[in-house]
Amino acid sequence: MAVFDYRQAEEIRDAFNKHGVRYLFIGKSGAILLGFPDSTQVAVIYPEKSPENGRAIVAALRELNFEITDSRAGEIERGKDFVQLKNGPFDVDLVFAPDGIERFEGAWRRHVVIDGFHVCHIDDIIGSKEASRRAKDMESLPRLRSFRKYWLLQNHNSP
Amino acid sequence: MDTEANMTPESEDPDSGDIPADWLAEFEAAARRPLRERFRYAFIKTCEPVMDDEPYRSFDTMADYRAWCEANLPDWLGYGRV
Repeated sequence: MAVFDYRQAEEIRDAFNKHGVRYLFIGKSGAILLGFPDSTQVAVIYPEKSPENGRAIVAALRELNFEITDSRAGEIERGKDFVQLKNGPFDVDLVFAPDGIERFEGAWRRHVVIDGFHVCHIDDIIGSKEASRRAKDMESLPRLRSFRKYWLLQNHNSP
Repeated sequence: MDTEANMTPESEDPDSGDIPADWLAEFEAAARRPLRERFRYAFIKTCEPVMDDEPYRSFDTMADYRAWCEANLPDWLGYGRV
């Protein structure tokens, strides 16, 4: 399995845009897009849960050579809360119901765009990690909260 | 950085003064790097026992996923809840 690189990130961004996918990067991959210097293994995507968006995701991922059978496509279209894909050119987690975020629309209103990538606001990334209560998330939270202060300082006057 | 921030939380008064100096230096260094370069440093691949054994998994609910992680993954991977 190849490491997720910038070219692949551009490909998934462009494929999602082409098919009209409503999505947000979340988790540490989202934080990294915001500038957080850390490491992770997987791109974590928070897609809007709707049949239409699910179909668009399946079309985009198939275009990127992920192996999506019809049965799995059905699961994505229904928006199962968590779908883990390790059967394509890179690993992707689709998290349709991330902990700590009530509705996609709220996160979408707060989101930021970095080089064309749709990314959750740092507060949603932190809130989701706090709500998950996983050991590995708890360990990263102090540094992430410090990054939030730095990020807000840098972006305080942005429109 | 091409950033379009849509929200700054109300009554937020960011102050870098209480950010540990070594972390602040890392944040500033990262901010100087283009996104493409940040990607090169950020995304890595290490073996995750059990997690890497299947090419596809899905769970109806996040609770199901969390329970599966706790029941099946080694503790040291950090997926368990605290």
